[in-house]
Amino acid sequence: MSTGLQEKVGMKLDTYNFKIEKGKLRELAFAIGDLREESLKGEFVLPTFPTVVDFMGEETSTLEDLLGLNLQKVLHGEQEYEYLGEMKPGDDLTVTGVIENVYTKASMDFYIIKKEFVNQNGETVLISRSTIIERH
Amino acid sequence: MEVGYQFEPLHKEEITHSQLVRYAGASGDFNPIHTVVPFAESAGLGDVIAHGMLVKGFVGQAISQWFSTKDLVKFSSRFRAMTRPGEKITVQGSVVEETEDRWICQAEAVNEAGEVKVKSSFEIKKR
Repeated sequence: MSTGLQEKVGMKLDTYNFKIEKGKLRELAFAIGDLREESLKGEFVLPTFPTVVDFMGEETSTLEDLLGLNLQKVLHGEQEYEYLGEMKPGDDLTVTGVIENVYTKASMDFYIIKKEFVNQNGETVLISRSTIIERH
Repeated sequence: MEVGYQFEPLHKEEITHSQLVRYAGASGDFNPIHTVVPFAESAGLGDVIAHGMLVKGFVGQAISQWFSTKDLVKFSSRFRAMTRPGEKITVQGSVVEETEDRWICQAEAVNEAGEVKVKSSFEIKKR
């Protein structure tokens, strides 16, 4: 592995806040095609809602810029969520992130990005681990 | 509930280009390989590819129909194959193992030919 890649391990992402709004819950349910009444009212936090929180942090600083990725070569390899507490509409989350690991395998670079979501009461409600792959 | 139990499959509608645009807006993932055909072509992908997280979203929807999400403690997925507009996804799953306080389950999102797009494992707190 090149030293350039190894240097990225431990890099921290910019901390940001995200408020869970019913409109965003509804929009995700509609996009997925989950037309249950509770989902469309925006009262239900779908298991993959954390992806919305992940990406909204990119409005100000993108992973592509931070890691120097070429979007045409980037794939999402794996995604893991650990649900440690409840998330509900109105919650105000603080999100911190770190590049947990980087390695090269089969002509591809793998980046493991770990994010922690902490709610307004200081409880860690979710840990997200994304594996982003850049093809060479 | 018992090990080996098969959940009722969730059959999704055909994925459309419009859905990918809607999903991009909903999720905030604006990588143009999912929405802009010329960009996807120049990336060597042919047509656009669906967001992996949209397909994982189908799996999440299925899990929330099988269980209360309050009991969902872990949900891991591996993106195995690209999904294109025009494909129809079915989510199927089963209980594979149990511990004292958890059901360990697996789920797959497959297309009509049976190609696995997303392979997931998830854990449910026993009540």
